[in-house]
Amino acid sequence: MNERANIKFMPYTAEISRGNPSCFVFLIDQSGSMGDVFGAGEGNQKKADGVAGAINRLLQNLVIKCAKEEGIRDYFHVGVIGYGAQVGPAFSGALVGRQLVPISEAGNSPARVDQRNKKVSDGAGGLVDQSVRFPVWFEPVANGGTPMCQALGQARSVVEGWLAQHPNCFPPIVINITDGEATDGAPTGPADEVRKLKSSDGDVLLFNIHLSSQRAGAVEYPSNETGLPDQFAQQLFRMSSVLPEYMLNIARNEGMSVSEGSRGFVFNADMVAVIKFLDIGTRPSALR
Amino acid sequence: MDAYLKAFWLPKEGSTKSEYEDAFFPRSSRSYPLAKRPRFAIADGATEASYSRLWARLLVSGFVRRRLGLPPAVGELEPIQRRWRSKVGGRPLPWFAEEALANGAFAALLGLEFSEERGATSTVKTWRATAAGDCCLIQVRSNDIINTFPFDDSTAFGSRPDLLGSLPAPNGHDNDMVKTFQGTCGFEDTFFLMSDALACWFFKEREAGNQPWNTLRDLDTQGEVSFHEFVTGLRNSKAMKNDDVTLLRIDIA
Repeated sequence: MNERANIKFMPYTAEISRGNPSCFVFLIDQSGSMGDVFGAGEGNQKKADGVAGAINRLLQNLVIKCAKEEGIRDYFHVGVIGYGAQVGPAFSGALVGRQLVPISEAGNSPARVDQRNKKVSDGAGGLVDQSVRFPVWFEPVANGGTPMCQALGQARSVVEGWLAQHPNCFPPIVINITDGEATDGAPTGPADEVRKLKSSDGDVLLFNIHLSSQRAGAVEYPSNETGLPDQFAQQLFRMSSVLPEYMLNIARNEGMSVSEGSRGFVFNADMVAVIKFLDIGTRPSALR
Repeated sequence: MDAYLKAFWLPKEGSTKSEYEDAFFPRSSRSYPLAKRPRFAIADGATEASYSRLWARLLVSGFVRRRLGLPPAVGELEPIQRRWRSKVGGRPLPWFAEEALANGAFAALLGLEFSEERGATSTVKTWRATAAGDCCLIQVRSNDIINTFPFDDSTAFGSRPDLLGSLPAPNGHDNDMVKTFQGTCGFEDTFFLMSDALACWFFKEREAGNQPWNTLRDLDTQGEVSFHEFVTGLRNSKAMKNDDVTLLRIDIA
């Protein structure tokens, strides 16, 4: 056996660069049930607000990760598929109808930019309000059924097209944000088809964010379904990819509670941490 | 005695020269008398931050021009941080640039100073170094490594090092992560100052029983491989990660 054959294949090590970009596809549940209140909190936020907030924060963090002084570097291309009364590309404004757009185009074309207050350190142990701009790409939508199977099918088709052009990329990541109740069949089969796709660097990753009306506490990256509050959470857990070893290491370094077998699944929680899992170069330990 | 500096640098493959975010100082490859206590520095600006290149440049010039002590004292970074803010602020920015700027820039810094003290009967030559982050110093005498700083093996490198920030640390202790080291300096010693990708390769080679210092000593000398060819070869064979690469080779003679 020659020396090269002895080298163990290490998946999820491909460089993410402008010359070899990766892609994200987000699936956002816009069905009528998203008009219900979600979570164990005391507030009356609707699930549709939660979905819009989750996708806007994910895109915001992804854009900032790629932002340099000269602009946004296209380390990623992103697509957003909405599913409810219709299934299809969900960007509005300048990006309407586009399946995948370079992250620079997404960053430069939010539907609007809000002004919000954020608590920041005053440098003397206290907190002060700081006005920050918050980009909004997606408004809350709650209308129609939950054709999750169709949405997963479209995601598969988009990712297949991407992989044909970028066979050696860091594996694409598909993130599905939903309340979990598909109305067009069992989504486990279409989810398997997404996870079977691969680049030369490893299998496509499918993660799920479950925003539920169940008054149950948040669960992040569980390694088994014991303790998940209902059958929909359990089904979404089973549909989710196991976190690759290198993501587990980063998550542990970030102080997150993960273990061998942890899956890319969260219940009534956000998944912004996944953006930190991606390596585009040196990330200072002090950057949160 | 003199320190002869030869500097090598190359941006990440796929990046332009203007996107090179390492920095080094002084810029001139020439000799520097030890009696004048010459200083040398390299820095590595973080990819995931804006204006890291500027921050890395301000740090190396600040160290070599003695605006930073060895090690930097509490408060000594402040004037350099103010300089960074004055250069990047004051103009309207898109939302993402404003947010990235609010996080500050970050860089690893490695600084080295030589000195030569003449006594009644002998001359003592010493060096001191200070480091934050993952740029490394290797001291080679004859055919042996006699000192490494701050890392000693390839497992110490990760993609999330402790770096110096361009914004004041919340606890006011910007220099908490700074390490220092010192040693004596011999005739014909060679010092290598390297940014992380090259340093990690160097340690892996040493761990494999090889003598990577010989390769670095020969770079760009008569009939030998150029730095550009050397780095490109390592990147192509995946022996070195694709990153900005900087090497300062300092020969004492």
